[in-house]
Amino acid sequence: MKTITVLSGKGGVGKSSLTASLAILLAKKYKIVAADCDVDAPNLALLLGIKELKKKEEISTNYKAVVNKEARNCKNIVDVCAFSAITWDKKNKIPKINKFLCEGCGACQLLCPKGISLKKVKNATIGEAKTKYKFSIVSGQLKIGEAGSGNVVEVVKTRARKIAVDADFMIVDSSAGIGCPVIAAVRDSDFVIGITEPTPSGLSDLKRAFDVVNHFKIPHGIVINKYDLNKKFTKQIENFAKKNKILILGKLPYDKKFVEAMVNLVPVVEYNPEYEKLFSKIIEKII
Amino acid sequence: MKKIAITGGKGGTGKSTIATALAFELAKKNKVLLIDADVDCPNDDLILGIKTKKVKDVENMIPKIDPEKCIKCGRCSEVCREHAIVFVKGKNPILISDQCTGCKACKIACPVGAISESKQKIGEIFIGKRNNLHLISGKMKPGVEESSLIVNAVKKYIKQKEKNYDYIIFDTAAGTHCPVIAVLLDVDLGIAVTEPTPLGNHDLDLILKLMKSIGIKSHIVLNRSDIADKAIIIKTAKKHKIKILAEIPYSKQIEKDYSAGRPIGHPAIQKIIGILK
Repeated sequence: MKTITVLSGKGGVGKSSLTASLAILLAKKYKIVAADCDVDAPNLALLLGIKELKKKEEISTNYKAVVNKEARNCKNIVDVCAFSAITWDKKNKIPKINKFLCEGCGACQLLCPKGISLKKVKNATIGEAKTKYKFSIVSGQLKIGEAGSGNVVEVVKTRARKIAVDADFMIVDSSAGIGCPVIAAVRDSDFVIGITEPTPSGLSDLKRAFDVVNHFKIPHGIVINKYDLNKKFTKQIENFAKKNKILILGKLPYDKKFVEAMVNLVPVVEYNPEYEKLFSKIIEKII
Repeated sequence: MKKIAITGGKGGTGKSTIATALAFELAKKNKVLLIDADVDCPNDDLILGIKTKKVKDVENMIPKIDPEKCIKCGRCSEVCREHAIVFVKGKNPILISDQCTGCKACKIACPVGAISESKQKIGEIFIGKRNNLHLISGKMKPGVEESSLIVNAVKKYIKQKEKNYDYIIFDTAAGTHCPVIAVLLDVDLGIAVTEPTPLGNHDLDLILKLMKSIGIKSHIVLNRSDIADKAIIIKTAKKHKIKILAEIPYSKQIEKDYSAGRPIGHPAIQKIIGILK
């Protein structure tokens, strides 16, 4: 199974829309599975017309430190916390842990084994669904205020591989940014599609995202969305691609139909079949 | 001094557009510090046309394992939840520094004191200004995983300077995870910028829940308010008992200003300023 991951650095440039349309076209010729690895704010299932995920389960990839009364002797753990999650409660003479900041690393527990316990937390929900386009999707949702998105991404990908062992392709939608959830999504991919738009922010963020992709030495290409909004800047992106020998996989126009398709929760290749050709060309260049 | 976060959940809804425009307007009469806390992909300098300069490297602890003292017990690898230390029986442990968050668990766990503290660079802090508007941007080194460490370093960097400002505006990353939480824990008020699409709405609900659980007051700004039916956003706002503070219809001029590095001028910005007073 080959893994194709869509990323962008900047948010809102069209990752999920592109992923949905590519998945539908790929599924016409191949066995595929989709994984929504934007576990902060997963939208891919919505875009593929899924209202409710099936086989939902809570997962636990993270720990949180809990204070016991024996922690009265452990004032030293305040300084050891690399995430500034521990303060000293002067009134009650006991350490206090901010649950939003605790990353569950366990350093405080090692320093104060009796006073601190580590508790597993159910930090995410994952589920799957069959789309009407002849492929399944696995999607994860980090719980509000929880940490550990990178690990949740790993679980989503593992489950996707498991439910579609004979698939030719797994298509992965990553989150915005370049931090832990994106690194976890990209790490073992065979090809990365970087989608961008002709704005200074779009290009700057794409370059940063490709720094991560290059770190893992993964082949990659560019899709320019809304390329006709600023043709001069599109040229700049093309020059950047040329200079760095990155393939331009395709250019998508700015069209109200993209917005309409999204509002109606229909992938753009289905909403407006004219676009099928354009998206098929992107696929041809990858495979 | 008031601290405000501009956030939203979904990416690309206009967080940076609103944050820069708000900071720019406020700075006409006040001392304003804009903090670009989207350390994965900071862009406020580009939008404001501000040339920034680096003032600080952000460093983090990484363990240094002394091969002479190491008894090859593997305890350091066992306690590392980030799987940043690889241990094969009979061999010295190997550190994968990119995965290390600097938590020191390995150092504490080592029974023979073979681990000491060293440092690695994980990001940078930049400053710049445009008249009364000061900008501080955090930038994570690509390949580093823990964005919130850079946000925390920026927060620490401004601690002594906070009192010099009337308003501090944080522009957050997309999403709802650690780098966003690190900002929201430290502000008086959060403004969620969204758009009237099902995806914008879905992520708005998440970020409003997050702000509620942290315990900060939140407002909604509806960007590109006319690209679709805004009824879904009104419904979510009602559910959370929050009013939509301001609406900005789609305009090509705003898109152009954005691409050209000009802060947008729109009556909606005045409405936001109105509630800050």
